[in-house]
Amino acid sequence: MTTETRPRRPSTLAPPSEAVPPPPPPPRKAEPRPFLLDFVPLEGESDTRLARFFQRLREGQLATTRCPRDGALLWPPRVVCPTCHTEELAWVDLPSRGRIYAFSAVLAGAPLGMEADVPFAVGLVDLEGVPLRLFGRIEGRPWNALAVGMEVRVEPYDVGDGRFFYRFRAPE
Amino acid sequence: MTVRPVAIVGGVTTKFGVRPSTWAELCQEVGAALFREIPELRAEDVDSLFVGAAEPERFAFQSHMAPFAAEQMGLRPYRILQRTELACASGQSAIRSAYAAIAAGLSDVAVAVGVEKMNLPSMAEANAAMACVMDRAWDGPAGATAPPFFAMVAQRHMLEYGTTEEQLAAVSEKNHRFANTNPAAQFYEKTFPRDKLLRLPVIAPPLRLGDCSSMTDGAAAVVLAADDRVPRYTPTPAWIRGTGQYSDFHNLANAGSLTEWVGLKRAAREALGRAGIPVDQLDVAELHDCFTISEIVEYEALGLCPPGQGGPFAADGRGDRGGDLLVNPRGGLLGCGHPLGATGIAQAVEVYRQFARTVPAARQAPDPEWALVHNLSGSANVHSVMVYQAGRAS
Repeated sequence: MTTETRPRRPSTLAPPSEAVPPPPPPPRKAEPRPFLLDFVPLEGESDTRLARFFQRLREGQLATTRCPRDGALLWPPRVVCPTCHTEELAWVDLPSRGRIYAFSAVLAGAPLGMEADVPFAVGLVDLEGVPLRLFGRIEGRPWNALAVGMEVRVEPYDVGDGRFFYRFRAPE
Repeated sequence: MTVRPVAIVGGVTTKFGVRPSTWAELCQEVGAALFREIPELRAEDVDSLFVGAAEPERFAFQSHMAPFAAEQMGLRPYRILQRTELACASGQSAIRSAYAAIAAGLSDVAVAVGVEKMNLPSMAEANAAMACVMDRAWDGPAGATAPPFFAMVAQRHMLEYGTTEEQLAAVSEKNHRFANTNPAAQFYEKTFPRDKLLRLPVIAPPLRLGDCSSMTDGAAAVVLAADDRVPRYTPTPAWIRGTGQYSDFHNLANAGSLTEWVGLKRAAREALGRAGIPVDQLDVAELHDCFTISEIVEYEALGLCPPGQGGPFAADGRGDRGGDLLVNPRGGLLGCGHPLGATGIAQAVEVYRQFARTVPAARQAPDPEWALVHNLSGSANVHSVMVYQAGRAS
């Protein structure tokens, strides 16, 4: 491989003329775009058969689907049971309390749209009385004041662009 | 059905690191290196190409990777041309697919190439690409990426078994030390003594920077051949003797134990069973150390030590030279960096070179006959294992 630098060729282009400057580009039409488009599911009736999940969140309640045949709670909510393949799943409200099974925090390397949240805590939470261990953001305390076994509550929240999701809140 | 013996007959990697090169350039580079490495290989020999690429849609804004890669490498496959995507195991997936095609008689000579371009001007964009490996719609909104997940594995392991930060650092120190024998490694000529590792910034508690593999640009490629074609290319083939794979969940809510990787136990049992050897017959292993805690849990899942004893196993150097089993002699993901699609192929290149005795003495396994390569992907919800045997061209 050669490391010689190539001699610059003299430019044969004519110098720029005193032409009229081009007109400024037309003002761009603002496109309202959810700031977390990539990380929050589409929530409306026209987008998903799971719109009921988001409707219940707006009403303050975390819910999911359950197979009526074997009673299994399914997470995330689904439209088909993965065991018996029935499409006749039932909606069921979930407990609003749980205990931290494991947690960590993002102190660096946040994905797009979450850079301003750093540092933030995340964890796996065992919901009270049901065999479900959900992952989610944990608010309410700095990460180093959380503990395995600590009780947290489920908190539906407005993502900020009209959509809803859930997170956990530790006691202040 | 007849299953033909298949071997890796040679391979190469590019320099791993933060590269001022695009996906296409890395792919061209590894193609040229492959033809230099195996002078007997002609482009027209290669009837099939398998391309391991995890996230090019986001990292490089390109899909339809297989013909894209073929053009970069100067190949015109006429039997099977496809991309294999299995996140962090995309490279091994390419090798497994090539193996299956040759074993079944659908291909005679195939190339498995892995390429990943991960360092972008916006690291948040790159981290978003990584987050899509998880269940984006349901785990993603919380900010789930690999570091906090593996941090929870470490937290539970510490809680359940008393594993320590010092034991995690022992894994990192070993793999970074081996990376100093490997000029292609991202962290070649960088020293990480244990006391320095324990002072590095925390990324996702309890994991520090030195506990995490990095965002890496790089490419690797191997040639696989049917038994009757092997002698054309090498006197020291690495024969594929067993494969196994297992996956039991995707959304984090459906993970079982964080500290007992059942999927790895099952994949390893399948692969070792097909090879017909017990784990203690292995001479060298390439284990997926995306995080230090991963290598510790893998020691346990492979049965190298009892459950919970992976920390002491690491601290006592039992995965080091002169230990029970030489683990990650090329430097692992921690020392080499982890260009997702290239990693599994770079591990296979190391196995080939260990068998050919062409690695530096400081990392050469003495007289190796059997090797195991493991990749996990995502939140350790998929485990992929291959077992190789050194041998002469038949």
